Amino acid sequence: NAELESVLDLFGIKLSSPDCQILTLPTSTERARPFLVLSFPHNLKGKRFRLQDGKCDDQSQDQDQIPFSNIISRCILVRSVIELWGVGKTLSDCVACSKKWNESSIGKEIFEKNSGIDKSWKITIHTLGTKYTRLEQDNMRLRFRFFDFKGQVKMEDPTNEFIMIREAEIDVLGNVVHPQQDCNKKIIQENVARPPIGVYFGRILGQGRLVKGRGAMEQYSLKRRAYLGPTSMDAELSFIMTNFGQVEKGKCVIDPFVGTGSILLSCAIRGAYCSGTDIDIRVLRGRSEHENIRSNFLQFGLPRPELVRSDNAIYHRHYQRSEVPLYDAIVTDPPYGIRAGARKTGSKLETPKPVVEELRHNHIAQTKPYSVADVMADLLDMAARTLVMGGRLVYVIPSFSINFSIEDDLPQHTCLELIHCCYQSFTSELGRRIVTMKKVGDYEETHQEEYLSAVWKNGAESAEKCANIRDKLLEAAKKKPGYQQKAAIRKEKRRKSREAKKLSKRKFATLDQKG
Amino acid sequence: FDRDGARYNFISVLISTTTIIIMRLLTHNTLRNNSNDAKGEGFPLGITATEVRVDEPYIMDDDHGKEEQQRNISFVKGLLNMLDWSALVKAASEMGLNALPSKLTEDLVKDEDFLRALFHVLMNVHLVRGILTCPRTGREFLVLDGIPNMILKEDECENARM
Repeated sequence: NAELESVLDLFGIKLSSPDCQILTLPTSTERARPFLVLSFPHNLKGKRFRLQDGKCDDQSQDQDQIPFSNIISRCILVRSVIELWGVGKTLSDCVACSKKWNESSIGKEIFEKNSGIDKSWKITIHTLGTKYTRLEQDNMRLRFRFFDFKGQVKMEDPTNEFIMIREAEIDVLGNVVHPQQDCNKKIIQENVARPPIGVYFGRILGQGRLVKGRGAMEQYSLKRRAYLGPTSMDAELSFIMTNFGQVEKGKCVIDPFVGTGSILLSCAIRGAYCSGTDIDIRVLRGRSEHENIRSNFLQFGLPRPELVRSDNAIYHRHYQRSEVPLYDAIVTDPPYGIRAGARKTGSKLETPKPVVEELRHNHIAQTKPYSVADVMADLLDMAARTLVMGGRLVYVIPSFSINFSIEDDLPQHTCLELIHCCYQSFTSELGRRIVTMKKVGDYEETHQEEYLSAVWKNGAESAEKCANIRDKLLEAAKKKPGYQQKAAIRKEKRRKSREAKKLSKRKFATLDQKG
Repeated sequence: FDRDGARYNFISVLISTTTIIIMRLLTHNTLRNNSNDAKGEGFPLGITATEVRVDEPYIMDDDHGKEEQQRNISFVKGLLNMLDWSALVKAASEMGLNALPSKLTEDLVKDEDFLRALFHVLMNVHLVRGILTCPRTGREFLVLDGIPNMILKEDECENARM
């Protein structure tokens, strides 16, 4: 829900307010459900959105209002939006509810608008986890025959697509929950074993079940990118992050650890003005003229992002003071030393030698390791400094699933308020957290030291939970049984492939000589 | 083009097919040298422009283009609070554009044509290669391939962090 909440908020809609209530689903269960029912007031005059798609033939609704399905199509995690006409626990309940709705004044009005002779239609049956034959599906359709549609049935691209969804109980991984045998050890027929916990009937808004949206997402897939690195963020997650950050046209976004620019690209696709900084000049420059950050943007016809080589650890050293905030959003994936080392400028020596004047221009400064604790502290401080009031910081941090408290172990800052913390798991123990924060207080230059020392509530202990993940993983892997054997096999494989390469090189060399 | 008596020579390339990265005047307006030596006067950074590039604004006359223009204008309006005007005028002239008025008046802020031109100056004029110099300490920051290099030397770093 977090993504949906952020996107709705961007359009002035507050989830769980009287303007947008969340209704309870039929059959209460403990599990999370893949559906959400929202209730809006019928008269949307003055609001920024309307429920009708496309051109509006109805005077009561504003032409400037954005169709609700356009708003929702931003959400990567939402599959479709349906205007609900009837709901119930079983098919009969749903049919009865739809009949009642059809007789209500609101229902009559909506039905009138969508059942004209010029409006073709079809009903799709979508059953979660159960399979029904064509005949069974048609019988379900016939139950809704009291809806007197005047237009023609059209299977491909009708004006209105209606859908009946039969929901069965599913577990957290998306698999259907069902007993295979009953108390007499007899095998239960699948459909009977998966009783409905909800049946919904309604009209699909937008361009169908956002399958087209999925197709649109394909073009942004990393597979098609000109310039990639080992830590390029996948397209889906970057877009989700832009939703958390409420990035839209005309906003200014920065990524202080831009790398190959994959997150920045998603922000630009949303229409924002983008800039990125990084300490590593090689990654900013790219591999060649046709393989760099700029070529990724060119691939999609987007304006060039602003790139600066600078060290985020000393952001305040090179940029405008905090009296005038610069950015609407900061969306980033900081380095935490697992796949890409985190570095900042500086020498390992206590008092480094100053560089001789003549060599200053060409001198490449040393970098030293940059601990995760400091990376996060500097990031939060820089965000508090440069965000406009209400602007958002969205970042990703790897952490373990257990033994982690959101209140105590996430970095904190007086000027920033935590909005969301969402967990994505990789394995049963390890995952990453996508954190969204909002600027709620003005930054006072004189308090910088206080801010920085208060970032980790439990001091080094909390920072440790996010740091050195690579070492922890390696240690845990070593303890597992069979590690030694597997490591030996891997070593042997590597040795063999290296030798094979050498042999083939030698062969080519001799061929060249002969040739 | 060459300017007689000018200290700088620079090349202006209108459209290039290679993917060169850039630094805009908007970015220059935010860059500072906040070192202890600069004593609060590390702004604006002087520009020695070796290679400048001006993109042609891609204006479409249809609805979409007009919408885009409106958005650009409101974007620029929003920036006006943040910009240091005199720094911008100086930087623009160092890059070869002398047409900016020295003072930002109420009338100018309301003039849509002016705002559109200002958007062009801020977003389409790029420094591809050059040097940024701190006016107080003389510390130079190179700009190569459009990327300003703000990385400090080791001895400068130690004093920068609080």
